[in-house]
This record gives sequence, C-alpha cells and structure tokens, in this order.
Amino acid sequence: MVTITFTGVSQCFHGRQIFGPLEARLSGGKITAVTGQNGSGKSTFLKLAGHLLLPSSGSVLVADDGVELHKDALRQRLAMVTPELRFYDRLTARENMDFLLGMRGMTLDEGEYRDLLERVGLVEAAVAHSYVGEFSTGMRQRLKMAVLLASGADIWLLDEPGANLDEAGRDLLAAEMRQAAARGVLMAIATNDTREEALADETISLAGG
Amino acid sequence: MKPSLWQAVKLVFVKEFTVGMRFKAAWAAMFMFALTTLACVSLALQGGVLEPRLAAALLWIIIFFASMAGADRVFADEDTAGTLLALRLYGGAQPVLWGKMLYTFFLLLVLTIFITPLFLLLIGAEMAAAGAFVLALLLGVAGLAAAGTLLAALVTGAQVKSGLFSVLMLPIILPVFLPAIFLTAASLGAGEVPVGFLGGMALYDGILAVGASVLFDYLWYED
Amino acid sequence: MGMILGGLTLVIAGLVFFVVPPAEGLGYYVRIAFFHIPVAWVAVIAFCVSAFQGARYLRAHDLSADVKSAAAAQLGFIFVILATVSGAIFSKLTWGAYWNWDPRQTTIFVLLLIYGAYLTLRGAMPAGHKRARAAAVYSLFSFLTVPFLVFIIPRLYFSLHPSPVLNGTGLAMDSLMLAVLLAALLDVTGIFYWLHKKQTEKLLQEERL
Repeated sequence: MVTITFTGVSQCFHGRQIFGPLEARLSGGKITAVTGQNGSGKSTFLKLAGHLLLPSSGSVLVADDGVELHKDALRQRLAMVTPELRFYDRLTARENMDFLLGMRGMTLDEGEYRDLLERVGLVEAAVAHSYVGEFSTGMRQRLKMAVLLASGADIWLLDEPGANLDEAGRDLLAAEMRQAAARGVLMAIATNDTREEALADETISLAGG
Repeated sequence: MKPSLWQAVKLVFVKEFTVGMRFKAAWAAMFMFALTTLACVSLALQGGVLEPRLAAALLWIIIFFASMAGADRVFADEDTAGTLLALRLYGGAQPVLWGKMLYTFFLLLVLTIFITPLFLLLIGAEMAAAGAFVLALLLGVAGLAAAGTLLAALVTGAQVKSGLFSVLMLPIILPVFLPAIFLTAASLGAGEVPVGFLGGMALYDGILAVGASVLFDYLWYED
Repeated sequence: MGMILGGLTLVIAGLVFFVVPPAEGLGYYVRIAFFHIPVAWVAVIAFCVSAFQGARYLRAHDLSADVKSAAAAQLGFIFVILATVSGAIFSKLTWGAYWNWDPRQTTIFVLLLIYGAYLTLRGAMPAGHKRARAAAVYSLFSFLTVPFLVFIIPRLYFSLHPSPVLNGTGLAMDSLMLAVLLAALLDVTGIFYWLHKKQTEKLLQEERL
C-alpha cells in the first residue's frame, strides 16, 4: 500500500511561513480532503506530497509497503490535476496524450482512446481536428481527467478537480474518484467544495498561521 | 513499463519538432537575428576583405548570439505556456534533457547551415581546409547545444531571463568557442590547422553533455 | 583571529617593503607580486569552496551549505577583481601593456566571468531551495571548465602570443622571497577563511529575517 507521511513539515515563501509544522499521513484506498481558505497552502501541500516541491523544513516520505519511492519510481506512479497543469496548445488531444503517456511507456490504441474520451464526456469528432489551444476550459479539464485515468497512476493529487466542470462533469469525477479509491489509489484533493469534501474519508484542515 | 531511453528521447524530439513547426516564431526570431547581424557586418565592411582571423571571430559571434536568441526557448517556451508541470510529471529527466539537447543541436545546425554559406559568400573568404572547417562548426554547435540545454532549464526560475542566459553561457562555452575560432581561422587560411584542437573540443563537448546529464536530475526532480 | 591575521599582515608588509631585495629585471615592482599571487590563489580557492559547498547542498539540501557557497563566491569575486587589477598594473609596469591575454590573464578573466555570472544568477532569483539548487548546479557546471583553463588555454595562447609572459617558474626567487611569499599565501588564505566565516554568518542572519 502506498503511503505519504509528512513529518514536521513547514513551508516558507519569501520568508513568510505558510503552514506548519505539520504531521500528516495519507494512505492508499483513502480519499483525503485538504481544506483551508485561499492562501492557506493547499496547493503547496499537494506539491510537497508529490515531491514537486522541497519543504523548507521537515520531510515528506512516499513509500510503498515500506519501500521509499522517489524520482522516476515516484513520478511513474503519480498523476495530478491542478489548475496550473496545461497541455501543449499546438498539439491535438490525441498528440498530447500520445506524448505524455508515451513518456511513461504507454500507448493507446484507437479503441482505448475513443473509450477514454467517452468516459470523460468528450466527443471524439469534436476534438479530433482541433488543437488543445482551441479547447474551452471545461474541455481542458475533461482532458486532464482523461490523462489522469489513462496514466495508470496510483497516487492522485487533485487540486480543485471540479473547477470549470458542469454538473454532469462533477458527477463523473466523483464516480471516478470513488472507483479509484476502491482500487487502492491514494488520493488527496485540495478543495473548498463541500460536495468534494463529502467524498473524503479524512480531512486535513490547513487553518493557516 | 518504462520506455527505453532512446524511444523516450525520440518522443521528446518529435514533440519539439512538431510544436516548432506549428509555431514558427522561435525559428524565425533566431534566423532573422542571424541574418540581421550578418547584414550589419557586411554593410559595415562595404565589400572590404576580412583577414581570416577576424572573419572567424565574426562568424562565431554571429552563431553564438543567434543561438542565444533561440536556444533558451527549449525550456522558456514550456515555462511561459505552462506546460512544464505536465512535462515534469510525465517525462523522466534524462529523456527530456537528451531529447531537448538533440533538438537544440538540430536547430542550431540548421541555423549554421543557413548562415555560414551566406557569410562566406558575403565576405568572400577562401576555404583552405573544408574538412576542419565543417568539423569545427559541428563540434562548436554541439557544445552550444549541450551547455545551452542545461542552462535553459536553469534560468526558468529566474526573474530576469534574456540577458542572464548569455551571461551564464559565455564562460562555460569559451572552451569550445576559442578553439573553434582558431580552427575556423586556420581553415580560412590563417596558418596551419591545429588538428589537435578538434579532439579537445570533442572531449569538452562530451564533458559538458555528461555534466549536464548528471546535474539535470537535480533540476528536474525537485522544485 | 582577526588580530592575529592583522598582525601577520603587518609583519609581511614590513618584510616586503623593507627586507625583500628588488628582483633581477623587475626591481621594486616585485612587491606587487606578494599581493597579486596570494590574491589570485585565493580567488581560485574560493571557486573550489563554492563548488564544493554547492555539491554539498545538492546532496543534503542543507541551505547553510548554499549560504557558504554564496559567501565564497562573493568573496571570490572581490579577490578575482583585486587579482585582475593588480595583475594588470604589474603587467603595465613590467611589460608595458595592461592586458595582453597571456594564459594566466585569460584564466583569471574566465574566472571573473564565472563569478559574475554566478552572482547575477543568484540576484535574479528569490531566496529558497530553487535558487540554491540553480546556483549549486551552475557552480558545478562551470567547474567543468577547470581542465580547459589548466591544460588547453596555455597551448592556445602560447602559440599565438609570443609576447613577453611569465615563464613557467615565474620570477627568479631566492629563498627569502620564497619564504615571504609562502607566508603571504598563508596569511591571505587565513584572511579568506576569516572573512568567509563572517560573511556566512551575515548571510545566514539576513536569510532568517
């Protein structure tokens, strides 16, 4: 089982302490909501969890059955959906997915690709011939979900995953999250949306200060 | 399920190439810069004949600054477009570095092939040793690509970028730059060609590429 | 420690001005060498210290190693300027030109560029791990030029600049001069060590604010 353990983690930015010292433990099969007002460091928390950011002090340990994961071994199992995640504007959805997944040694055949698009509610015909740069924000968000689902990752770090999604999109997302958690995926979501919070097994509140 | 390094490098290269072909501004900026500089030099000379050593220095200065206008974009463009996070999440350090290095090498090579004949034509230089000339260009451009790719990644976090890249580049590239100028001068007729320099340049290019590969892991896996 | 170094410096200065005889062919200009050689030596040492501390940072993510690396580079920059200026004056007095690109001048010039680039890079980034890492990577990357500076530059320039340059053994030295020079080297290295400690403390304090 995958676990992420925060030990005495605090984070400073421009000399100002954002949060900490913080103790936390996330584990596979559980959805952990990270809540707190704007600026309380929710996104930072997720980046720390994925080793995309180094804590100012303390340590973040990602392990699978006690074996520490880092660098490529960790990245291979990590997927994120965040507002700052962007795909290549001048590539099509298919090209983006082929490139990003290809970097992890995965290939999608035509059928899998179509199924995936359907699963996240994108119409293949509508996206086939346009660059991602022409997508609406909602379509981009759905594409992020598609890449997340295809990545085969078992550590999901989601930062306001429901943003820019309509009602149907949010329901879809909630269903996928529940399924993934049942498969044993470790999931952390930074959110202030009460419905997303309701999905969570645990809540970490970053009250700030 | 990790892909082989070569496959992943190829993916990065093809991606860079595709995006580059669809967004020609990066190419255009670099080529126009080189062309403008060349035109300035030629205009200033008004058809006067350049001594080989001076001609060699000018050629390399044009190549250096033109590449400065394009080589840092391999990471800067991803940074401004916001795609760096996706690339970091899905791409391993080594494929990204080598793929981008290869692409930069390719880009600079095309630039050199474009600018050098024009330059030779305009200044009316006589070629004494074409083989050494071509090798010096190849090795010089390889060095620029090797050092440039790492440094381009390095400056993505900086608040002042454009000037910084050349400032960081110059001392590191001098060991390639200086022998390249001597070799070019010699192959344009300024004395005997110091063939040993070619070996030295190749060695230093290798050192730069390996050094970049080792150090890039630190830039890629932590923020 | 400052007292001891101050005393030693006075003694050496006394020796240089009142005891050391004028060198053959150089006359009293040789006095500059007792300043120039140690200062240039320290400029090189500081470069090594900076790279070494940079490597330490990359291994352990210890920000105090980064501060030590920065302090060494700041001092190195000052020392390399002193070395360049004193060298140029010496060159003018003995050979008639401030600058003639002899191998050592070229080496020190590249060192000057590297220090300048390193400090510019630091200045362009906000404090924190990201800057520390970029600085460390640059100081190590620029360290790759060392074999070139030591082995290739002399060949490059001896062949093309047959103008008067220092020959391999340097000045014709008697044992008294050598002893004074060694003492000066020791003294200036001590001064560097002392200043480095002070500068490190100062930078650490600034960082905490």
